[in-house]
Amino acid sequence: MTANPTSALHLDEPYARPILVDGDRDLASVTRRVCGVVEAPKPPRAWYIAITITSAMTVMLFAMVAYLIVTGVGVWGNNSPAFWGWDIVNFVFWVGIAHAGTLISAILFLLRQKWRTSINRAAEAMTLFAVCCAGLYPSIHVGRVWLAYWLFPLPNQMQMWPNFRSPLLWDVFAVSTYATVSLLFWYMGLVPDLATLRDRATTKLRKGLYGFFALGWCGSARHWQRYERAYLILAALATPLVLSVHSVVSFDFAVSQVPGWHTTIFPPYFVAGAIFSGFGMVVTTMVPARELFGLKELVTLKHLENMNKVILATGSMVGLAYATEFFIAWYGGNPYERFVFLNRALGPYWWAYWLMVFCNVVAPQFLWFKKIRTSLWAMFVISIFVNIGMWLERFVIVVTSLTRDYLPTSWGYFKPTAVDVCTFAGTFGLFLTLFLLFCRFLPMVAIAEVKTVLPAAHPHGGHGTKEGAHHG
Amino acid sequence: MSPLNQNEHPDGAHAHFGPRPKDDASGFSRRRMLQVMGASLALASASSCRWEAEEILPFQKRPEGRIPGSTRRFATALECGGFASSLLVTSYDGRPIKIEGNPLHALDRGACSARSQAAVLDLYDPDHSRGLVQKFESVAYPRTWKEFDPFFAGVLAAQRAKGGAGLRVVAEPSSSATLAALRTRFAAAFPQAKWVAWEAISRTSELAGARLAFGKPVRTLPRVEAARTLVALDCDLFGEHPAALANARAFAKRHDPSLPDVLRVWAAECTPTSVGAVADHRLALRVEQVLPLMLALEQRVHAKLGVKVDAALQPSSPAPSGGFLAAADVASFLDHLADELLQHRGESLLVVGRRQPAAVHALAHRLNAVLGNAGRTVVYVDEPEGDRPEPATALAELVREMDGGAVECLVVLGTNPVYDAPADVDFRRALRKVPLSIHLGDYRHETGRACTWHLPRAHMLESWGDAVSWDGARCTTQPLIDPIFPRRTPLELTAQMIGEVATARDLVRAAVSPNASDAEWQRTLHDGFVANSAPATSVPVVARFDVPGVQPRALEVEPANGKLELVLAPDPRVYDGRSANNSWLQETPDSLTKMTWGNAAFFAPATAKALGVKDATLVKLKVGARELECAACVVPGQATGAVTLYLGYGRTAAGVVGGLEEESVETVGFDAYRLRTAATLETALDLTVEATGRAYPLARTTDPAVEDAIGEKGREERLHELLRETTLAHHVANPHGEAHEGHHPALESLWEHAEPGAVRWGMAIDLNSCIGCNACAVACQAENNVPVVGREQVMRGREMAWIRIDRYFTGSEDAPKVRFQPLTCQHCESAPCEQVCPVAATTHSAEGLNDMVYNRCIGTRYCANNCPFKVRRFNFFNYHKQVDAAGSEVQRMLYNPEVTIRHRGVMEKCTFCVQRIQAAKIRAKNEGRTLADGEVVSACAQTCPTEAIVFGDLADPKSRVARLHGEGRAYKMLAELNIRPRTAYLAKVNNPNPASSQHDG
Repeated sequence: MTANPTSALHLDEPYARPILVDGDRDLASVTRRVCGVVEAPKPPRAWYIAITITSAMTVMLFAMVAYLIVTGVGVWGNNSPAFWGWDIVNFVFWVGIAHAGTLISAILFLLRQKWRTSINRAAEAMTLFAVCCAGLYPSIHVGRVWLAYWLFPLPNQMQMWPNFRSPLLWDVFAVSTYATVSLLFWYMGLVPDLATLRDRATTKLRKGLYGFFALGWCGSARHWQRYERAYLILAALATPLVLSVHSVVSFDFAVSQVPGWHTTIFPPYFVAGAIFSGFGMVVTTMVPARELFGLKELVTLKHLENMNKVILATGSMVGLAYATEFFIAWYGGNPYERFVFLNRALGPYWWAYWLMVFCNVVAPQFLWFKKIRTSLWAMFVISIFVNIGMWLERFVIVVTSLTRDYLPTSWGYFKPTAVDVCTFAGTFGLFLTLFLLFCRFLPMVAIAEVKTVLPAAHPHGGHGTKEGAHHG
Repeated sequence: MSPLNQNEHPDGAHAHFGPRPKDDASGFSRRRMLQVMGASLALASASSCRWEAEEILPFQKRPEGRIPGSTRRFATALECGGFASSLLVTSYDGRPIKIEGNPLHALDRGACSARSQAAVLDLYDPDHSRGLVQKFESVAYPRTWKEFDPFFAGVLAAQRAKGGAGLRVVAEPSSSATLAALRTRFAAAFPQAKWVAWEAISRTSELAGARLAFGKPVRTLPRVEAARTLVALDCDLFGEHPAALANARAFAKRHDPSLPDVLRVWAAECTPTSVGAVADHRLALRVEQVLPLMLALEQRVHAKLGVKVDAALQPSSPAPSGGFLAAADVASFLDHLADELLQHRGESLLVVGRRQPAAVHALAHRLNAVLGNAGRTVVYVDEPEGDRPEPATALAELVREMDGGAVECLVVLGTNPVYDAPADVDFRRALRKVPLSIHLGDYRHETGRACTWHLPRAHMLESWGDAVSWDGARCTTQPLIDPIFPRRTPLELTAQMIGEVATARDLVRAAVSPNASDAEWQRTLHDGFVANSAPATSVPVVARFDVPGVQPRALEVEPANGKLELVLAPDPRVYDGRSANNSWLQETPDSLTKMTWGNAAFFAPATAKALGVKDATLVKLKVGARELECAACVVPGQATGAVTLYLGYGRTAAGVVGGLEEESVETVGFDAYRLRTAATLETALDLTVEATGRAYPLARTTDPAVEDAIGEKGREERLHELLRETTLAHHVANPHGEAHEGHHPALESLWEHAEPGAVRWGMAIDLNSCIGCNACAVACQAENNVPVVGREQVMRGREMAWIRIDRYFTGSEDAPKVRFQPLTCQHCESAPCEQVCPVAATTHSAEGLNDMVYNRCIGTRYCANNCPFKVRRFNFFNYHKQVDAAGSEVQRMLYNPEVTIRHRGVMEKCTFCVQRIQAAKIRAKNEGRTLADGEVVSACAQTCPTEAIVFGDLADPKSRVARLHGEGRAYKMLAELNIRPRTAYLAKVNNPNPASSQHDG
């Protein structure tokens, strides 16, 4: 934290509005700082190195997908009984990651958590990119990709509806709705900032492009009034989606009758896990990004610490869910369910289970200590653990349940193939490539919103001043 | 094109057929060019008129009874090892597509073994020989019959002049009367020539046993249907036995718990067989231990008999004692068995396995006579072929002659001695000393490649012939299709050798029913066998004989390494190796180990532990100076101290399925023949095992390697729910006990279900009768165009079988019981697969079938995840890709046109043979009547020898399946999930001896 006369004011002092932005804090400097990243003639060298690697990985992803479609699902490790493998594991993993963005944007917005302003843009972008990676899997994992559109209720010559009893269909609706609303929400928030970029543009091309997407924004009071109303409506629309998407994703499992899937705890457990993993990923990406683009003053340690607190809370919820599952498996008296949970902990995938418990339940507990919570390295390492742990959680749920269900004669073991691994690595390539492009070409921080929490926006006292305490 | 250059190869036989000079491409003249072009044109037009016009012209008038597009069925017979299986073959538009059992035949009665059914695949196998090949200086040249015939005529003329002194024939043993007649004429034409019958698996010791007991070789016909106590001593009565199907059926009839006198089965055997699996008492013994056991049993029977028997029937030598006989389980087995045999005199039956020494066979004959079983539960017929020399001895003699240079022309008819001759009879080396060797065979296999000529042999479905089934009835083989490629049968080649010109059909008719009228002959062909041709049975008198002393080592409980017993047995699927290129059989899981694509040495768990051998690792087996590195498989129920290895694998020239060295196709499994010498044809007693510790993954469909302590516990816990069994005493006391075993709360559905239709198809599977023979699995594969996926895919768990036989081991590891449970789609009325399919590709039909709409399926695989039985199969790849390709027209002829070929990315599963249901419905509708019970039979139910699978309409209360569903021991698997399966299992009812139930019950 930079030395700063008002740094003594914190969230824990209820009488004062917290300081949300460090450094010189006049309105123009925020614009300069954020637009500077986009307008710099050349991005930092590290950006070039990073995008070279990530775009190579993206190309590998496309190559793997092409190979898959041409050859068949058999290029993956999926088998009988594990008809689903890394495809669904990775799908749920990416959908989970996609949760933080909307949570930060919508729910925190409705709860008037103003600290969200400097991270919400990047988090929302991550949501979108993660949804891209997530949406890829269900569409390519089907046996006949070219007919995947039959999942949608389109008019057709067969005069057939899809099967509305299938959770997989609910999933299609849930994820596509979530992707649409997230995109709208993100774009909506971008409009004033795109106008800023348009106005500052020095080339025709930039002016044209930013101008096109700025939708004629001129910053009039009427624009602002409508903007804020629409933003509020979208936030209200997106909020239930945060809860519904992962609840519906969990129905894929909970509504089936596979022991280990068929449990009523799944919806809340999945939502908590998704927020957990989403925040984990935001920390993982924001820690290096704020260094790389010099945004430390806007994305302050305070933001990161707040996110760590959310990680700690949701991680503990996830831990509670694990314990509850075991309790119910014993208490419920269903022998198949009891076996599945014992098998998770002691069976052939014990390593995955215990690694998951360590990453998701044990590792976040270190965040109880403020020193760790505010140490960049410590939080980065813990966030990596969270990412790994949440991936393992999906692996444990999908694979251990499927490989040992009812009839012992059809039990099996799932082993991924090189194509599985390369495809998954490729989705990281896609995610990071999109994120790097976003950092370079769009304002990473919501300029207009951040300005509202600057002291300069509140001449009579606001964030970071004692006087602000008097305001509601 | 180029005229044969007769001067280039002046050395006799090759003068006409030496390699042709190659064209020098650089020196192509204009004249030559025109020649080649003209010839190409002529050839191109010639190839389009390859078929005789007469055969392929469309019918101007439709022959009576022939409806285009409908199937026709013909009776024929398949001979293997000298015994016929009578078959009924379905032909579609002139191409045979499915082999079933002949319902008219007394033994087969419509059932058919897995191996016989799979024979249809060989007909269209691209590796099945399609043309003649001549080998010249180790280069193979394609030839035609037109080239071969004059050449062979020359060779034969030369031999005829010498009385056939240089001519030798090696042939499969055959019971064909046609061949016998030809052989008589052959012997007349070539008095000095010799005819040697060679087969790797012989029944000589069985005949020797009969000779010992009765003074003449007779064939034993067990009559299980008349028995109350069946004692199988190292005898796979329901599997390897030539009358296995009839025996199994009789067993199932007599093992019905509703009978007042339920059959009790006792088995003492080395590796668990189908008999051991269903036995009420089973003892694991090494092969060599059966003799002392038999002697001890005889002694006990006589001790308890009380009455004086004929001197000839008295035990001829003192019974051994001590050693393994002193063990508590063996002593109790013997005591209770002896008591029971006496109690059921005249109703008991002792049968002995083929590989047991003659003395054990003779002892069984004697004991059957003492107990009054002879004539009641066992009868005899004279061996149709009488005496014949031991094949290994005859072959060794031939090899000596070949080595000595006495053989100028060797004709090999069908057999494969280069591969399966005893390891100390070096047929391959001797063959090099024979200037002219001619091989007629299905495949250009090891022997075909080593001979100077290979001639393609017509498939059974392309051939005329005849053979005798185990009961002595003469069956006829008739072709269902003209040879697809120019191929000949051994009969035709033999006739050619003696210069006969009659067609095979006439030869067969002349030999089989010379005096029959045309109508009678038609009747014979229609039935598939000559009516009343089974010889009269007799009960010969047992003469006094001596039994060789028991080796002390046989009494040892667990012999040391170096003195282990190696058992070399024919494989239940590929037999002696002849079916190694049959991918259906290769991929059919062994009923005991669930292993596909290969063999492995079986170790008892205790033996494996003592030797440090781990499951699915490589071990070195040493017998004398011979060594073989092969995979090890730990098999509960295997006798301690005995290692069983199946023959028939490790083929180097079987084809692209079974292994082809020349084209770098890996061999499948390990060649056990390398350890098999003339002295150790069945067992070797000086086996040393060395563990290498190197892993070797086995392609098992149920893999114990994925099971650990927790998995084992989980399996134990649920087994009694999934596979219910009880004892007869319990069942009689509580006839509905098994149906009510699972307790669960009242079941409620989330939605309303459709009203059950007027027809409700369902199935019942009797666990009490299933012997795990795999016949249903192959029947399903043939009927439903189920693809084969290969070893690597099986190891990944992607086998496609629509019906599988789950195998469980229950009880202790030392004396486990083997349990089978056939499993197909259960067609649940509230099917979990249907509810989760997002595109509604699997739905319920009005008749209660759980239909799979391939066209609609997009392959999310959610249905398979949600199927608690895991019977759904996914096309992870295009498994028909090879057959889709150009040039596979012949392979494509195999497919059942009534069943869709599934493309990649689509889910598939058992349909209850919906095509058969539709066909029967159409037939009934055309005839203006309703379907009768038993009219619709699924492929699995049709072929099941024990009738363990019953299919029919549950809505008809009088149907057999509905009655079975109502039985006290009927239960539905996993019914507590509220899925309402349409398949009921009938609990297994064991019938242990009440007196000994404390140790085995």
